[in-house]
Parts: sequence; C-alpha cells; structure tokens
Amino acid sequence: MKSLQKKLKNFWENFYLVLVLIFLYAPIAVMMALSFNSSKSRSHWGGFTLQWYSQMFESSAVMDALYNTLLIAFLSALIATVLGTAAAIGINSMKKLPRSICMGVNNIPMLNSDIVTGISLMLMFIAFGVSLGFKTILLAHISFNVPYVMLSVMPKLKQTSRYTYEAALDLGAGPLQAFFKVVFPDILPGVLSGFLMAFTMSLDDFIITHFTRGAGINTLSTLIYSEVRRGIQPTMYALSTVIFVTVLALLLITNFSPSGEKAGAGKKRAALGDSEPSGNGGKAAGTPSPLWPKIQKGLLVCVSFAVVAGISYTSLLKFNASHSDELYVYNWGEYIDEDVIRQFEEETGIHVVYDLFETNEEMYPVIEAGAVQYDVVCPSDYMIQRMAENGLLAEINWENVPNISNIGQTYMEWSEAFDPGNFYSVPYCWGTVGILCNVERLEELGVPVPTKWADLWDPRLSGEILMQDSVRDAFMVAQKSLGYSLNSTDPGELSEAKDLLLLQKPLVQAYVVDQVRDKMLSGEAAVGVIYSGELLYLQEEAESLNLDFTLQYVLPEEGTNLWIDSWVIPWNARNKENAEKWINFLCRPDIAKKNFEYITYATPNEAAFRLLDPEYQQNTDVFPDTSTLTTSEVYRYLGTEADDLYNALWKEVKSQ
Amino acid sequence: MSQPLIDLNHISKSYDGELILDDLNLSVKENSFVTLLGPSGCGKTTTLRIIGGFETPDKGQVIFGGEDITLLPPNKRQLNTVFQKYALFPHMSIAENIAFGLKIKGKSKSYIDDKIKYALKLVNLNGFENRSVDSLSGGQQQRIAIARAIVNEPRLLLLDEPLGALDLKLRQDMQYELIRLKNELGITFIYVTHDQEEALTMSDTIVVMNQGYIQQMGTPEQIYNEPENAFVADFIGESNIVGGTMIRDELVEIFGAKFACVDKGFGTNKPVDVVIRPEDIDLVKPEDGTLQGIVTHLIFKGVHYEMEVTTPNGYEWLVHSTDLFPVGQHVGIHVDPFDIQIMNKPESEDEEAVGVNE
Repeated sequence: MKSLQKKLKNFWENFYLVLVLIFLYAPIAVMMALSFNSSKSRSHWGGFTLQWYSQMFESSAVMDALYNTLLIAFLSALIATVLGTAAAIGINSMKKLPRSICMGVNNIPMLNSDIVTGISLMLMFIAFGVSLGFKTILLAHISFNVPYVMLSVMPKLKQTSRYTYEAALDLGAGPLQAFFKVVFPDILPGVLSGFLMAFTMSLDDFIITHFTRGAGINTLSTLIYSEVRRGIQPTMYALSTVIFVTVLALLLITNFSPSGEKAGAGKKRAALGDSEPSGNGGKAAGTPSPLWPKIQKGLLVCVSFAVVAGISYTSLLKFNASHSDELYVYNWGEYIDEDVIRQFEEETGIHVVYDLFETNEEMYPVIEAGAVQYDVVCPSDYMIQRMAENGLLAEINWENVPNISNIGQTYMEWSEAFDPGNFYSVPYCWGTVGILCNVERLEELGVPVPTKWADLWDPRLSGEILMQDSVRDAFMVAQKSLGYSLNSTDPGELSEAKDLLLLQKPLVQAYVVDQVRDKMLSGEAAVGVIYSGELLYLQEEAESLNLDFTLQYVLPEEGTNLWIDSWVIPWNARNKENAEKWINFLCRPDIAKKNFEYITYATPNEAAFRLLDPEYQQNTDVFPDTSTLTTSEVYRYLGTEADDLYNALWKEVKSQ
Repeated sequence: MSQPLIDLNHISKSYDGELILDDLNLSVKENSFVTLLGPSGCGKTTTLRIIGGFETPDKGQVIFGGEDITLLPPNKRQLNTVFQKYALFPHMSIAENIAFGLKIKGKSKSYIDDKIKYALKLVNLNGFENRSVDSLSGGQQQRIAIARAIVNEPRLLLLDEPLGALDLKLRQDMQYELIRLKNELGITFIYVTHDQEEALTMSDTIVVMNQGYIQQMGTPEQIYNEPENAFVADFIGESNIVGGTMIRDELVEIFGAKFACVDKGFGTNKPVDVVIRPEDIDLVKPEDGTLQGIVTHLIFKGVHYEMEVTTPNGYEWLVHSTDLFPVGQHVGIHVDPFDIQIMNKPESEDEEAVGVNE
C-alpha cells in the first residue's frame, strides 16, 4: 500500500517537473524543429533540410549582424569590466554613507526600463552631435553593462580582507603589483562572472541597440526585428538555434563540475603528516583537484581567442573593403536580392551601407531627426507624401536616371496621387490587397466564392474570416464596400465604416498581422484579407505542400488599395548622385527581374516584365490587368487630425 | 645594541576631527621587544600603522635608523608586519605565500627555496610548502604569517595583536615561541596587544597607552609594581585603587587609618591615589589590622582564594590569599609599607584622560 502511494507520489512529482520543463523549453524546441523544416510555413512540415543553415552562413547580412553582435558584446563587456571593477574598488574603500549612495546610484540604471535608457542615450548622442553608428551602440552597451559588473565584483571585494593588500605592500610590492598579484586573483571569480553577465546582457539587448544604432549597422536582434514585415525567415530560426546551442554548451561547461572533486584531497593531507594539534577536523578543504579548473580555464582562453581571432579577421576584411565613395541605403527587411547590392558595388565601385527598417512609422522619425544621413530610402506611398509635404525629400535629377523609361506610365500616374508631378519618387514594388479564399472550405459552408468586399459580411462565414490588424487596411475594406474613397476624411463616412466593421466583428476569426499566409495554408479559415505580395510565395508553397484544397485570390469588384513602395532621396543625403546611380541601377531590366524573382512582389518595370518567365507574366493574381483597377486607389497621407479620427474609431472597433 | 632603531617625534594623528594620537614621542632601541599596551581605541594600532607606513601622521616625524621615513611608502621600508587577521594570500600555497616578498625582490630560486625551508623550520611547520591556506588552523596560519615576514630579514618586526584570534592554550604556546624567535633572530619587535598578561610575559619594555597618550613606559616589573597613575594600575593586573591623603613623607591616610609607606616627595596633606595589589593585602585578626572589615565574598581560584572584604565606609577590598577566611568573618587588613604605591591625582584636563574608562 505504502509503496504504491510512494510510487504515485513520485509519478506526480516527475510529471510536474516534466510539465514545467515543457512549459519552459517547448518554444525553443519548436523553433529548433522549424529551423530544419524545408517549408517556410510555420504550420507545415515540408521535410528535413539544412538549407537554412547554409543560407545563414552565406548571407552577408546575417554574418555581418553576427559579427557586430559578438564584437559589441565582447568589447563592451571587456571595457565595462575594467571600468566596473575599478569603480567597485573605489567605492568599496569609501565610508559607509557615500558608499551606499554610490551603490544606490549604480542600481538605478539596472532597474530603469530599457526604453527609457535607450531613448535618453539616443537623445544625448544627437544633442552632442555624435552620429549614430557602431560606436554609439558600443558606448550605450558599456554604459548599461558597468552596473552589472560592479554588482558582481562588489561582494567579492567585501569578502577580501583589506589586510592582504597591505600585507603585499608590506612585503615590498608596489601598489600595482600588490593589486594584480594579491587582490585581483582574489576577486577574479567576481570579475569573470561580471564579464560573462555583461557579455550576455549585451548579446540579449534589443531596445537600447535599436535606439542607438545608425546606418548600416545591425545586431542580430535588430536584424530579426527588421524582418517582421515580410515574416521572419527560417534562416533566423537556424541562427537562433546555433546561438541557443552555443550558450547551452558554455553553460554546461562552466557550471558542471565533477562531483569527485574533493576525493583526493583527504589522502594528500594524511600523507603530508599533519602536525597540527587538534580541533580542525571540520576544515577538510585541502587542495582542490587541479584538473577541472584547468579545463575550464583552457576553454575560456580558447573561446576568447576564437572570438578575438574571428573579430580581427573580419575587421581586416572590412578594412580592405572600405571605400571612400559610399551610399547609405535604408530599406525594408528582405526587400532586395543581396547579389544586386554586390553587383552594384562591383560595377560602380561605390560602397553600400545597407540598413533596414520595419515600418514606415519607424523610418519617418529617423529621417526627420537627421541623426543618420541616408542617401536613398524606400518608403510606401502615403509616407512619401508626408515626407514631401514636410520637406524631407530632395527632387530627383531625372537626367541621372535614364532607366526611368522602363517604368510603366500607369505606375507613374498612380504615383501622382502621393507625389504630384513625379518629383521625388521612383516606383520599386507594387501590389493590391484582396481576398484569399479556401475554395473547398467555402463549398462545405455552402458559400459561393466572394467577388466583392461586401461578401465578407455573409453570416455563414462566422468564424471563418481573417482581417488585417491595421487601421487603414481594415477601414479600406468597409469604405470600399460602401463605395467610399479609402482616403475619405468625412466623419460621417468614417462613422458608417466603423459601424460596418462592428457589424462584421462577430464573424471575424482574428485580426492578424502576418499570419494570414500561414493560417490559410494550414486551412484554418475560409477567407482572409491579404497583400498580393505574398501570393507568389504562397502559391509555390501550396503546390509543394500538396494541399487538399485550392487557394484562390480575389480582387473585389468595388476596387481596392493599390500600394506602391518607391525610392526617394532624403533632403540631407550626402551622396545624392550615388543615390541616383542606385535608383537608375535598380531600374535596369535585368536587375529589376532579379529582384522580382527574389522579392516576388510585382514590379512596375515593364522592360523587366517582358523578360520574365511566361508563367509569371500570365499570373494575373500578381500582375492584374491595370486597366481593371480604375476603382482602386493609393493611400494618401491624411494629416494628423484625420489620423487621430481613424485611430479613435479603430479603437472602438477593437475594444467592443 | 643600545642605539635607537626607531624614533617617533611629536606624532599627531586625527580622523574626522577626532584626535587619535596627540604629540606622541617614543624611542625603540635596537633588538628590544617593545609592547604597546592599552584598551581598544587607545591609539596603539594607529601608532603601529604609522611605523609600518600605512598611515601618514598629521604632524611629527618617524626616524628609522637615523633616516626620516615619515613619507616613505610601506614597500620601501625595511620592516615587516604580522597582521591581526594573518592576511595570508588565500589563492597561494604556503610556499608561495612565504616566497612573495623574496620574489618581488628578485631573489634566486635556490635562495628562495632555502629560505622557505628555513622559515618553516623556524616556526615548526616543516613540510607544509604545498598546503593551502584554508587547510591550516589559526595557530598554523599565524606562524606562516610570521614566517612570511621574517624571510625578508627585516630590522624591525611589527606585530598587531597577532595572537588575538587564538584560544588560550595556543596563545600561551605562541608567546614562548615568539620570545624564542626574537632571541634566535635578533630582530627588534614592536608588539601591539590589549592583553596585559601577554605584555608582561614577553616584553623588555611596555608602553601603556590610553586615548592617544603614553601613560607609562618601563620594564614589566616597573609597570606592574610601580604604576604611575590609576589607569596603569587598573589596566595592569587587578588592583585596589583608593583615594588617600599623604600626611607626610612615608605616611599615608586611607579611610581614616594611617599606613606606613616608602614614598616621598608628595608634600604634606596632599590628596593622592593609592594602589594596593590584592595579593599584597594580608588578612589578620581584627585587632592586628590597620583597617577592619567583614569578608563578604569568597571564590576559590585554584592557586589562591579571591575574597572581598568590606570596610565600614562601604569599600570592597579585593584580596588574594592562600588562607581561607569564610564569608561573614571579621578580619583586619594589613599592608607592608613597600607594597603601597602612591600616585598623584590627575590635575590638568589632559591628564583626566588617564581616568579609567571601564
């Protein structure tokens, strides 16, 4: 009876433990599994592959970010360790009151939220005219790392008798000798753990880096974040897996110490013939087994050496590759074929500093503040209008961009909606917003395939609709179904649209950002509002997955949102002519074709279109007949007042 | 032999406005064993740290072998210190600890090895070279600390309460060991302690300090038998210190009774302090005593009985005697003239500091 109870108890204990472990590690396990998934989809297993790992090592963006991350972590941890240790020693020898004040001041930055630290650092750099870049990230990391080092050195210092330092002086050592020979070895464990903590904190940081970084510099965290718009690439899962495994290995090495450590000590002591009188039986510490610390030390040295060697090797490459002729490009994540950048650099000899943003709203203040002077930027339609209206753009000298003739006239006309007179922008990618339908699912529900936005109010679609979780896109659906302009600022029309959205809300399964693709691929919903840019990838994926249902893209009859991302040159560009060379280069048919094949968003470049595979040319989902889009519109910037109204109404929809 | 090795001239030192040492003068002869004795806070450790170079005096000079070393840093001084808490280097082996000073001075390996052996032998810890500091007992650590200091062949060894952390038995053993070491090495020792027994056992000269002043300096016998003031008398051993009046030379009145003594030159009818050691009081029949009292307390102490005898004015005399007088018995108090020590009462405010703290 008793043993059964005991067994049961053991079972529950283990069960609980396993539950906790699953809770902690399931997300990481999922990520690791996905890094070996040959399908880009997060919900389908397409077979085992190592392609993401090889892509990761081939991608210069990822490798650069990795290099930056490690270099910054290493340097900032090293410098913070020196500064923090020195500060801790100074503070430790203070009197009690000033010491506790100093430690209090030291603790505040750690408790302070990262975003406050990040913003204040950025403001300070800008106020003092320090251009944001590698060194500002480094300075920021040093500043937030120092308190951690101090915190881990301080207790060690307190344990250390101050008399050992004096004893060393007394025995003839100079102050420096005394410190390095006697005090330092004593506090070394604290210094090392401070270094490791600083290294990890720096590795982990996203927010502060995000605010203090400048053109062309990314750490892993900012790189991953910049890919949010197009969906995080599986190479990032691969990278995260590599990092996790590395950290795990380091952790195991540093924390795992063999249990037999103290076995040999006793014997040794007996052999020495203990002449001590009595009463010291408890202190059997003796000499620790010398092997394990040596292994640990060796590993530490190896790792440091590898990091330093890697860093110096890559810096050497970088140094050799540095050019005086530069171009600062600011683009969406995953929005260019990296080969195109390389080709541009080879052909023109201009060194490209390539930087990424995630949203128009994030890009705007960066350009406005002028802290980083980009030469060429790729915002969306309405944002171009806003930038132009606020004088943030320079007029393009069309003489330097002869390839503009390759861009279809239709697209230049559309651009006039946000760039009247075509002064500032050159279209790069464009697309539509439409309804993606799961045909078989609709059949099951007995609902015909939708042809217009208004069909999304069919009560039979309850729980089957995926809507975009963004103000303008959501309102666009309602406005268009009502026959209004999607750029309407009329409060009456907007209020009507809001009511309509509220009416639809019970039918909506979810308002989502970038999961429409995955959810539709896994058959979770019947219809979803989606950007046409995703389509080509989606279709290829659907084919390779052998789905038992068909996905069909519908452009609603009422018209839809036409979106255009275009290249513009900021007013403060330092290399305007290089920027024009860049734009001209991207307008070359072969380059535009290459980019299309990588990005898979529709290209406005008609010369490039003619070079495309007929299969692509005939894909009317990606390249709809432009003459049928007469009722469609491009978003315009509506001013802050209208923005506020839209946001207020959207909040009402979301909160009810 | 009798050259002064170190002279402290008019040393003053204060921390945060609190005076620790006030115009201290001290001269230590070559090859002597000098003990600075006093309660905690009396300035004895500060004095030692000034000699060691860890503190700089606000005023005054430190002369070492005829040279002014007041501002010389500790690592440039030809002396070594044995610290209160041993201050061994925990990450080094015993041999490395002892070799520390020699390595810094760049001595050869064979020289260092010889010295380590020699020093370990001297402190009776042969074969301890490769032991770790943690594995030693307090007494062993202390001996290593001494070994570490003396291998550098200092002219002067400073010891800051080195036995304070040891238990009684070990402390007594170490006292003899220190005396032996000093005699073998011929080094001058300056020893700081608050333990009067240690001071009396080991020193050639005792310097009794209190509140930044030297109260008395002399051989252990002088300090014990002829304390110059109430503080010294009270601090060194147990005493009966009572107020009295010097009637004339060689006659003092205590609690109305006249005692013959051997002291002269205090004037007539002068108020004085009188010190009588408990073992110097003879208890006799009431009618034979100079003063009469009743035994009010009795403890057996092994070597002797400790008794308290209360006289009619309420004063409790401490008496050590091998004869037993039970509680309640009326006794007479008799003191031989040469066992009575007369001291001036403190007059100035400075001398007030001499007053007993406890």
